[in-house]
Amino acid sequence: MNALTASAAIASGRVMLANVRQRSLVEAKVRALVVAGFILFIGFAALARIAQLGLFEGSPERRSLAEALLPPRGEITDRNGVPLARAFPAYALWYNPKAFGENGSPLVKSPEEVAKALLAIFPDADYNDLLKRLKSDKPSYLRQRVMPEDANRIFALGEPALEFPRENQRYYPQGSLGAHVLGYVDTEGHGHVGMEQVLEKQLLDPAQRGKPVALSIDMRAQGALEDELGRGMLETEAKGAAGVILDVDTGEVVALASLPSFNPNRSDQALNNLVFNKVTNQVYELGSTFKPLSIAAAIDAGVVTDLSVRYPSDKPLAIGGFHIRDSHNFGASLNVPEALIHSSNIVTAQVADKLGGPALKKTMAALGMNERPYIELPARGFPLWPRGTNKAGDWARITTMTVSYGHGIAVTPLHLAAAYAAMVNGGIWRPATLFKRDPSQIPEGRRVYKASTSARMRQLLRMIVVDGTGKSANASGYRVGGKTGSAEKPGGKGGYNRTSLVATFAAAFPMDKPRYVVIAMLDEPKGTAATSYQRTAAWNAAPIVGRVVPRIGPFLGVVPDDTRDIDISDLSPLVGNGEGE
Amino acid sequence: MITTASRLRSVGWLVLLGLCLALVIALAFRVNALRSQIHHAEARIVALKQERMYLETEFETRSNQQQLKAWNDVEFGYAAPNASQYIEGERQLAQLSVPATPDAPEPIRVASVDDSVIASAAFPGMVSPLSGKPLASDDRKAAAAAADDEDEVRPARKMAREEAVETLKDRLGKVVDARPRGPVRKETASEKERPTRKDKAESDTSGKSKVAAKGGGKSAKADSKPASKPATKAKTVATADKSASGKAKSAPAPRATKGKEAKAAR
Repeated sequence: MNALTASAAIASGRVMLANVRQRSLVEAKVRALVVAGFILFIGFAALARIAQLGLFEGSPERRSLAEALLPPRGEITDRNGVPLARAFPAYALWYNPKAFGENGSPLVKSPEEVAKALLAIFPDADYNDLLKRLKSDKPSYLRQRVMPEDANRIFALGEPALEFPRENQRYYPQGSLGAHVLGYVDTEGHGHVGMEQVLEKQLLDPAQRGKPVALSIDMRAQGALEDELGRGMLETEAKGAAGVILDVDTGEVVALASLPSFNPNRSDQALNNLVFNKVTNQVYELGSTFKPLSIAAAIDAGVVTDLSVRYPSDKPLAIGGFHIRDSHNFGASLNVPEALIHSSNIVTAQVADKLGGPALKKTMAALGMNERPYIELPARGFPLWPRGTNKAGDWARITTMTVSYGHGIAVTPLHLAAAYAAMVNGGIWRPATLFKRDPSQIPEGRRVYKASTSARMRQLLRMIVVDGTGKSANASGYRVGGKTGSAEKPGGKGGYNRTSLVATFAAAFPMDKPRYVVIAMLDEPKGTAATSYQRTAAWNAAPIVGRVVPRIGPFLGVVPDDTRDIDISDLSPLVGNGEGE
Repeated sequence: MITTASRLRSVGWLVLLGLCLALVIALAFRVNALRSQIHHAEARIVALKQERMYLETEFETRSNQQQLKAWNDVEFGYAAPNASQYIEGERQLAQLSVPATPDAPEPIRVASVDDSVIASAAFPGMVSPLSGKPLASDDRKAAAAAADDEDEVRPARKMAREEAVETLKDRLGKVVDARPRGPVRKETASEKERPTRKDKAESDTSGKSKVAAKGGGKSAKADSKPASKPATKAKTVATADKSASGKAKSAPAPRATKGKEAKAAR
């Protein structure tokens, strides 16, 4: 029984064991299947992913080549494609007090030492301001823009808290050159003053900003003009200087300078009175430079038909208690060429009187003297246009006379440049522009003078430079013609200040076929050793033009030629050589 | 049998399908790989263009007008060119030339007009008023027909040619150079075609002073080579003109001495 039960028990045990074995086997198989299935699934998933990656390419947003190269703000170039303003990822100097984590000093050395080292690199920086920023626990800019070599020197200080993030900024490779034309961009990215403000929309428009905007400026001419004006300003200790070079046939402004200038790269320093543009915004009584314009009006109207007619010039002209004087006595009488050569107010006033107020006024208005100058810049000064005596605005006799020699009317130097361009180019006035004009887009303009008048004026302007007050502007081979103007500034006794002058020289070259008008103006020049202690334009403004023209002529396409000149032989006999104002 | 065949066919289709699928996938991979390469290349172009922009800006900054002016004031002192430094045209350029002095070295002639071209251009071949054909061909026919007349006809034509060139020289105002010849003139390709005129060319000394337009380049090249390589020079000359072999071979020796003379003169 025992054995039976035992065997039964063994048998049942064997069955159970077999069952267990079978079950374990099944379980193992199932597990193996699950694992295999899992591995297969992973394999398939991986394959699927590879296929997905390979077939549908899940690369991050693809930017096109043009998109990647599109500058954040469009580039401005000169007429030859030289970049004047471009978006440039420049270095900034950023102080990060959390460079070493939350605790402990962020600086290796003491803030005083670091501030001193920074002061050595940036001599114009404010030590106390730097120290305050370095001691504070707030991150801030220590400097908006750092040159690469300065960045290297700061890096050598070994301060990890001083960082150099590359930030997209506006950069002007030419520095302060042409600053008034270009303007500047502030830290918020808005353009101010010059073309940066005018072109704001276009420069930021994604559709247009990829293409550089070409200005009419020629950087080399701009450089020469600013350089010579700066030299003249230093030599005469003048308060300021202004100059403009204008293409007489197209109205393109080739150079425009207002000194002292500012550096548009330092927009933080641009908020001062230096951004004021003396060429387009400041109006001056430009004095004798108006005489050729008035004489041309008289010739054009047929009032002056014979240039040998002589006008009395020995006594001041008394008109209603007002006396028109000359700088000194030029003798009993002068003819028109002599009056221009010696710059006689008395004779010009008489010619203008003969011409009459309405005709002179009409010519001046046709030359754009009664409206803001035509230029794209936002800063455009409104001329001081003489008020009329009646409702029609007719000028009084004395007004006509003073306007004829550039007093009682105040315009910007750009007005004068455009008027001179009209006078020498055959008589067509065209608006000035700062954009490079395609030859097919040159505006028709309006006729102010007859072509014959223009030809006569070219002779007269050349005579002023050959025999008269403009001798020092006579650049050899360039056939310069022009007129000096030394006007007293308003204020002081008798309405005018006798000691503070505005000296201007308005010129065009080459006179046998004028291409460019050059205006140079000095604000309150003083008599110094360099100008033989003279303050008038013949001694300070004319030499500037005489130095600018040979520098700009060769690359503006004017070849100097000593054997060529405008024919003045028919007028030469009318003039006895002598010096005037 | 049929079942096996149909199964085989279906298996074949499956294999083909699989193959096509594999090819499509391979192609897709290839396309995408290429696309990604392009992307990388574009990124590199962008980086390089940006780099170029940085460098250009740096260059513009370092060479800005004010900086150039400062350098010019201190270092270079360049001034704007004046009127005397400009030449208006060829006439003004010619005014600057001076007549050659007796011992002056032979001027280097780069290119000139071929005599024969001028001669033939100035005096076009005579055309028969009857046949309208050039007379030369008639002459040749006549010469062939009457061989005994040849000696009389040919010198006459030669004289006419020489005379023509001479009168042309008078008209062009060229000075006949009586000095011993320097660089020996090599005959031109056009002259190669007219071996009959060789004797005439040798007799015409003044004709040698002009280097033919076509041969000019070659002769200038040969002249510019240093005198220490007479072998190559002779070779060049020989290849330049095989027909004028006698003259060409004799050329190197006098030229070398001439070169030395010129050096000594300098």
